[in-house]
Amino acid sequence: MQNEEQALEDGKFEAVTSPVSAFDVWANFGDDNTMQEESVVQAEEGKKVPFVGDKEPLSTLAAEYESGSPILLEKIKVLDKQYSAIRRTRGDGNCFFRSFMFSYLEHILQCQDLAEVERIKMNVEECRKTLQKLGYPDLTFEDFFALFLEQLEDVIQGKETSLSHDELVFRSRDQSISDYVVMFFRFVTSGEIQKRSEFFEPFILGLTNSTVEQFCKSSVEPMGEESDHVHIIALSDALGIPIRVMYLDRSSCDTGGVSVNHHDFIPAAGDLPRTSCGSEASSPFITLLYRPGHYDILYPK
Amino acid sequence: MQASRARLFKEFKEVQRERSADPDIQLVCDDSNIFKWTALIKGPSETPYEGGVFQLAFAVPEQYPLQPPQVRFLTKIFHPNVHFKTGEICLDILKNAWSPAWTLQSVCRAIIALMAHPEPDSPLNCDSGNLLRSGDVRGYQSMARMYTRLAAMPKKG
Repeated sequence: MQNEEQALEDGKFEAVTSPVSAFDVWANFGDDNTMQEESVVQAEEGKKVPFVGDKEPLSTLAAEYESGSPILLEKIKVLDKQYSAIRRTRGDGNCFFRSFMFSYLEHILQCQDLAEVERIKMNVEECRKTLQKLGYPDLTFEDFFALFLEQLEDVIQGKETSLSHDELVFRSRDQSISDYVVMFFRFVTSGEIQKRSEFFEPFILGLTNSTVEQFCKSSVEPMGEESDHVHIIALSDALGIPIRVMYLDRSSCDTGGVSVNHHDFIPAAGDLPRTSCGSEASSPFITLLYRPGHYDILYPK
Repeated sequence: MQASRARLFKEFKEVQRERSADPDIQLVCDDSNIFKWTALIKGPSETPYEGGVFQLAFAVPEQYPLQPPQVRFLTKIFHPNVHFKTGEICLDILKNAWSPAWTLQSVCRAIIALMAHPEPDSPLNCDSGNLLRSGDVRGYQSMARMYTRLAAMPKKG
């Protein structure tokens, strides 16, 4: 059948393919060039925003939209009542994972919640087993797991290797550490999605036309692939960490007053972290600001 | 650099241990440089590459496994997704779909799968791609088989 179709189109086909020289140029323009160019673009982007930026007052967010949409400015005013600061992350497709990494490690560093450290370590071991059961060879993911666990140990104070807050910021900007932790989260997310593929399948079919496994291979595991709700649900569930996302977009509500939509991702499992360190019970200690296509970290007042 | 070396060393040990698991792939690390590998892969059966043995060259970057290895065919091959002159391979996992979940060994498996299932819509070898896209499967197969005989099989006599 395919042959018939092609045969019918034969006449047209020759016309389409006649400028062979153009194809030759493409053939000479190898993938190496493309990838080199990509990394140049990324390096330039990097000069503007580090992987994890400095904590800035929320007023810098308003300044960004000074001459922008009035709805956004109204929403920023609302945010300003609840949140004091923002920490930006680089828009390289890893911003959700990078924001989550910094926010979580900073929380542990500031609260010294050892029970939470023990709890998440057990979940990390579960994630390791999940990947093993799915047939991932240990050598493909173990370095990333080890590096995350090392960061987790190092934010606990009172040891020679303990990190100060400045050192945590420094490490989060060091590509060799930061990217490895991002990759750890990508493995965890992929494992969770595949483990509960029946649950995630309808969400994934809504996003792409691929199977759960294909989705994980093409949209979760590769660095730089942006995160969607599916990724957030999976990571939050796998590690048992609630995440709040505030949405700064142009949507307005009919009721008149401007409010900022938010969504709390609450893990399905029962073993939630105890909320020491000031935050109210059951409210997430990680809050991210979402603007279409990008995540940054928010700090409550 | 240190991380990539450690990872490659693990892959090296795994390759030694699992040598018999993949009889179609023979992956060898350069004696003096763990960032340079070559592989011999068997052409998949029921394809025009059957009976041929194809050599691949791997150049592994220092950022491996966050970045993919560069792989090309050293053996001449007539295939829509392999550049006829340079041996460069057009395969998504060697570019934007790369992730550290792949290994050099599984990349070889993916390349064997690509040999069996060409993607004529993203050709690096336009002559080969055009034959398939115009429905001339026989033309493609006979060209591919000829080059397999000329380049990928031991010469007779």
